[in-house]
Amino acid sequence: MPQSPDMINLGFLSDSERELILEVLRRDEELRQAEEQRVCWMSKRKGAKRGSGRYSQRSCGRCLEPLSRLSVFSSQCTTCNHYVCSKCRTVLPNGSWVCSVCAKESDLKKMTGDWFYDQRVNRFSTMPGHNLVRVSLKKKSPLKKRETMGEVLLRSTEINSDLPAPVPRPRQKIQTDNKGFVLILHISFRSSRKEDEEEEEDIDSLVSFHKRTMASSSSSLHSKSTMGSLMSIYSEAGDFDSVEVSGDIVFSLNYDEHTQSLQVFIKECQGLAFGDASRQLTNPYVKCYLLPDKSRQSKRKTTIKRNTINPVYKETLKYSISRSQLLTRSILISVWHHGRLSRNAFLGEVEIALDCRDLDTAYEDRMLALTDILLSNSFAQYKGELVISLKYITPKNVTTEKIKGKKAVTEEGGELHVLIKEAKNLMAMKPGGMSDSFVKGYLFPTKAKNTKRKTPVMKKNLNPHYDHTFVFKELSLEQLRGMCLELTVWDREAMLSNEFLGGIRLSSGKGTVKIGKEEVEKDSVGEEVSLWEKMMQYPDSWAEGTLPLRSTMGKAKAK
Amino acid sequence: MTDGDYDYLIKLLALGDSGVGKTTFLYRYTDNKFNPKFITTVGIDFREKRVVYTASNPNGTTTGKTFKVHLQLWDTAGQERFRSLTTAFFRDAMGFLLMFDLTSQQSFLNVRNWMSQLQANAYCENPDIVLVGNKADLADQREVQEKQAKELADKYGIPYFETSAATGAEVDKAVITLLDLVMKRMEQCVDKPPAEPANGNGATKLGDAQPNEKKCAC
Ligand SMILES: Nc1nc2c(ncn2[C@@H]2O[C@H](COP(=O)(O)OP(=O)(O)OP(=O)(O)O)[C@@H](O)[C@H]2O)c(=O)[nH]1
Ligand SMILES: [Mg+2]
Ligand SMILES: [Zn+2]
Ligand SMILES: [Zn+2]
Repeated sequence: MPQSPDMINLGFLSDSERELILEVLRRDEELRQAEEQRVCWMSKRKGAKRGSGRYSQRSCGRCLEPLSRLSVFSSQCTTCNHYVCSKCRTVLPNGSWVCSVCAKESDLKKMTGDWFYDQRVNRFSTMPGHNLVRVSLKKKSPLKKRETMGEVLLRSTEINSDLPAPVPRPRQKIQTDNKGFVLILHISFRSSRKEDEEEEEDIDSLVSFHKRTMASSSSSLHSKSTMGSLMSIYSEAGDFDSVEVSGDIVFSLNYDEHTQSLQVFIKECQGLAFGDASRQLTNPYVKCYLLPDKSRQSKRKTTIKRNTINPVYKETLKYSISRSQLLTRSILISVWHHGRLSRNAFLGEVEIALDCRDLDTAYEDRMLALTDILLSNSFAQYKGELVISLKYITPKNVTTEKIKGKKAVTEEGGELHVLIKEAKNLMAMKPGGMSDSFVKGYLFPTKAKNTKRKTPVMKKNLNPHYDHTFVFKELSLEQLRGMCLELTVWDREAMLSNEFLGGIRLSSGKGTVKIGKEEVEKDSVGEEVSLWEKMMQYPDSWAEGTLPLRSTMGKAKAK
Repeated sequence: MTDGDYDYLIKLLALGDSGVGKTTFLYRYTDNKFNPKFITTVGIDFREKRVVYTASNPNGTTTGKTFKVHLQLWDTAGQERFRSLTTAFFRDAMGFLLMFDLTSQQSFLNVRNWMSQLQANAYCENPDIVLVGNKADLADQREVQEKQAKELADKYGIPYFETSAATGAEVDKAVITLLDLVMKRMEQCVDKPPAEPANGNGATKLGDAQPNEKKCAC
């Protein structure tokens, strides 16, 4: 078993030896900082990533040129499954090929050393002594994947007596590239379905990728280029071609007074779905968050079991937390398939509020079906508010168009304007009690194009004014009635996945809506419903509301 | 001194008993000099070297593509008292030079132990390793026969070199072979599905030193 470095006792070193080692570590730090800069710089040029390949087989997933019928069969990128034209391919040394974006991605993985860190994470992150090097984990944890022993030691008082106490280093800041292309922003559609450092989704850079090759108007940017990538959000969110969430998880919860820790014992799962349907393969692992903390600090993972739908883990995931604090928390246990090139797939999740659990009668296994998504406490945690205005603009010139001999499609010419005014009391995610936030919007069911919207990022502000309008075109009132508008607020984190800050879901609150390939309950409540209704009731005038942010965006599948 | 003008930062690490010549070997590699004095390493140290790497196809032919590689070569102390510190650095290295002294049977016997230390502490359970028998120039003092060492290396499925830091023989070759293994591993990690283990051809396995534990999750 790998040793946890906190077993290193350096007390035996003499002062001069300590000084020598410290000198080495400082030299290492210099090299490391140069390397970090290089990596930052490279990541800005990062390409985009995967997609499901389901959006269309008739146009190239990269440049969107039409594909000839014949070539469709041989034109699928083996890595991302996009269909791509011959111009958008890169031939590998072994003679096979991948699409230009995948090639770029793997180049980046190599040049940044991520290939190595990703593997190492697999080996060490789930070790029992996970809060290894205590000093290191408390801060800078988002970058801990790349953390080296030299770095850890240099920051430990054990070796560096100049440090009275560990000093948190500010998180790496990356300046926005103002040359006009979008920085890496990570798509994480649903907070609870979100993967993190090992699995970054990069739709925005796909956008940026296309931005350089395509027309410059911003609407074309949205309309065409996001098509393929939109689908990948859904695959991220649990909508897989043929993967239905299934199976059960057996676990127990226990509070250990002695160590003041919550222990989540993951025993096993039964009857999981295949994460990789085409190969009938599942490499499942279990991941835990102690909600409402969705950050990496709160994440715990089991080992990955290979090729089984009935994995047995018998692993204990621990959280240091006082008993009284537990009452406001809940535990989110999700199961994931560890796919190739870390194309992880969601296999199911359960959420258990801790207030109602009698943790003293512990050690008793609970079995829950993975399809039981408990939504009850979506609002349990105050996440702040979002102030928005909605307006439906009725179509004009219905008749003029008819005169021109066109068909009467103009009935659908209405527009939904969503003014994102401001957010209030957002959670602080960055050191110094700040967040760099932006709002993202989707209108479901997604039409073929043009459904994702985003505000600019408001830096260092927990009460940001966005004053930004999302426009959704070609909509009739009748269509809107069956639709659902999802607005989510994110803390922008360059190089890493963005952190979810909260969201709202506007709809009639009745019936279901299709999200990706899933029929999902329209679970809007309270003002989420009334504001939506008001917008439809009074077209051409603004309906304004201040809505509480949900702490999770979990969806309930229609039965 | 380290500008960021390189394509890959590759971190290698030398390990083995005290006195086998790790420090001297690395000094020869980076500076092409020999230091006959024995100054035992305190804990941990490293040296750097910039090399140009030429990528090759699986069949061995060169692709003509060259990359600038910045090598960080970690030098660990062989002395037992630094063990907890040195093994902690194993996890940060992408490849390993496991060294013994051809004039010391004991240092060769200890290769096994180093191997299991590696297995336990490296970034994965079957990292890339090159076995190095050093001080080949001291032929009259030789205690370990080439055949013996070669057999052990074969058992682990790793390359073996007999080097001399004093003359420089085979030093570069040992390091470049390791670099090549690491670069190939890197390619496999990003291009291959995880179902296939990292070393398709079984190049570096830790042999029977390990039970049938899980493979390196590449
Ligand atoms: N003749 C000869 N002597 C060598 C060779 N390599 C190393 N030496 C000598 O062996 C002694 C020990 O070498 P070091 O490189 O300091 O040994 P080390 O493995 O770094 O030892 P620790 O730092 O204690 O772990 C020195 O006196 C070197 O000059 C070699 O190839 N030939
Ligand atoms: Mg030495
Ligand atoms: Zn193309
Ligand atoms: Zn691809």
